[in-house]
Amino acid sequence: MTVEHGETSSAQPLIPLHCLRHAEPGPPRLTALPNGTPVWLATRHADVRQVLTDPRLDRATLFAPDAPPTSTGPNLLDDPEGLLNIDGPEHQRLRRTVQRAFTPRAIARWRPWVETVIEELIDDLEAAGSPVDVVAGLTRSLPIAVISRLMDLDGVDLQRLGHWSDHALSTSAYPAEQVRQAMREFYAFSEQLIADRRKNPGDDLVSSLLLAAAETEGVTEGQLTAMVCGLVVAGHETTMTSFGNALVQLLSEAPEAWARIAVDLADATAASEQILRAIPLSDATALPGLLRRAVADLEIGGVAIAAGSVVAADIRTANHDPEVYPAIGPLDHFAPLGTPSLTFGAGPHHCLGAWLARMELELGLHRLANRLPGLRLAGPLEEISWREGLLTRSPASLLVAW
Amino acid sequence: MSAAGQELVVRVDRTRCVGTGACTWTAPEDLELGPDGRARPLRPVSDDRPGLTEAAEMCPVEAITVLSAASGEVVAPL
Ligand code: HEM
Ligand code: SF4
Repeated sequence: MTVEHGETSSAQPLIPLHCLRHAEPGPPRLTALPNGTPVWLATRHADVRQVLTDPRLDRATLFAPDAPPTSTGPNLLDDPEGLLNIDGPEHQRLRRTVQRAFTPRAIARWRPWVETVIEELIDDLEAAGSPVDVVAGLTRSLPIAVISRLMDLDGVDLQRLGHWSDHALSTSAYPAEQVRQAMREFYAFSEQLIADRRKNPGDDLVSSLLLAAAETEGVTEGQLTAMVCGLVVAGHETTMTSFGNALVQLLSEAPEAWARIAVDLADATAASEQILRAIPLSDATALPGLLRRAVADLEIGGVAIAAGSVVAADIRTANHDPEVYPAIGPLDHFAPLGTPSLTFGAGPHHCLGAWLARMELELGLHRLANRLPGLRLAGPLEEISWREGLLTRSPASLLVAW
Repeated sequence: MSAAGQELVVRVDRTRCVGTGACTWTAPEDLELGPDGRARPLRPVSDDRPGLTEAAEMCPVEAITVLSAASGEVVAPL
């Protein structure tokens, strides 16, 4: 069977992500990664926050020669020159080359434009007629259109970008050699793009990254190449995942919430925050959480953890910690969150694209519900085909009707 | 000592702060990460306008506000 876009057909229908059960949070406990490497798992909100913010835990030493193996197979997140895998002052310097473009204010300037893109995509959905695949038409197209515009990827073959992105986050969807091949092509594309923008700078994200990097000490070509690939992938995959999974939840069990999201943008904003908190981006099968390594002996939630240990921050469980988010019945989309969720992480590696993702999700949900208030799933949940074998899971396609 | 009217007060919204530590690198005299992984001011008033402005503008969750000590006016982020 050829498997494209990480699609596979399981014998057993997979459970939608909003229906997954969450473990009871408790003190850090020793468990193992799928490859057998021992890992301390933090699950309580406060412990997870500590794992992500405490300078005695880092990312870079996960790739040190003495580190136990933690990789899920070749993928982009394991590049030691990637922003995610650099720590301390070097990370601060590299992150500053892109941070300014992603502050809440900088992102807010894109709002009117993003809204037009959404309206156009919904025009096309309507023109295609009911039923239609909302993944191809909106949840995948929107993030691609947005990141392509930010990075000025006009004229780039978006199919190829999508192909590379899928491979970049593969765990088991593709054979290792195929992933390596895709990564080689992706990096070559990135190097070429960097060379082009150095020659002809514009007002896009890649050009401003290069400009800032030129004024920053110690930024390497490898870091820039990995950054460009990282932005393409992050821009593509994660927002599509949360948007798709949000629609599965809203359209299958929350018609009242859908009606409110349609009318009031503030309600759409609140609902997006709750959805981002409550619906995880993946099954915990490949990785139990965000990985770190202890660079010194420390204590987390009363448990002693030795230097050199691998620690996983389980944000999905922490996002359901009853100490912080009292679980009263079904998801209340409009309850104020109080404490920020850990969906975008915390600490130095807190998600660069958090505000961009939030804006795409809230505007996308608001406009779609407003234009198509009677939207419903065209088929049963059990028949959804999922993108599998990747670090994230979301519908490969989702037929909706009105 | 800085001239009166130039003195600044920095506030951190500790519910919003996600503990990136970015501000503590930019304005080390004025901000540090507390044991709870959230930023906190180090002194009641400051004269490091460039550092604090930069810290407020670059905070990824806009948790930092810089005010004029004299007038209470917001200096950054604008
Ligand atoms: C719903 C959508 C998204 C979610 C849930 C999400 C989640 C996350 C999380 C949890 C981390 C931290 C990982 C760790 O600490 O180990 C992260 C980092 C990152 N994200 Fe996102 N993300 C999303 C969208 C985006 C978008 C749209 C972009 C960019 C255009 C982006 C770019 C990044 C980058 C560059 C990092 C690494 C930051 C660093 O190491 O300093 N993300 N994201
Ligand atoms: S930059 Fe903002 S989020 Fe980061 S530590 Fe400072 S106040 Fe907190």
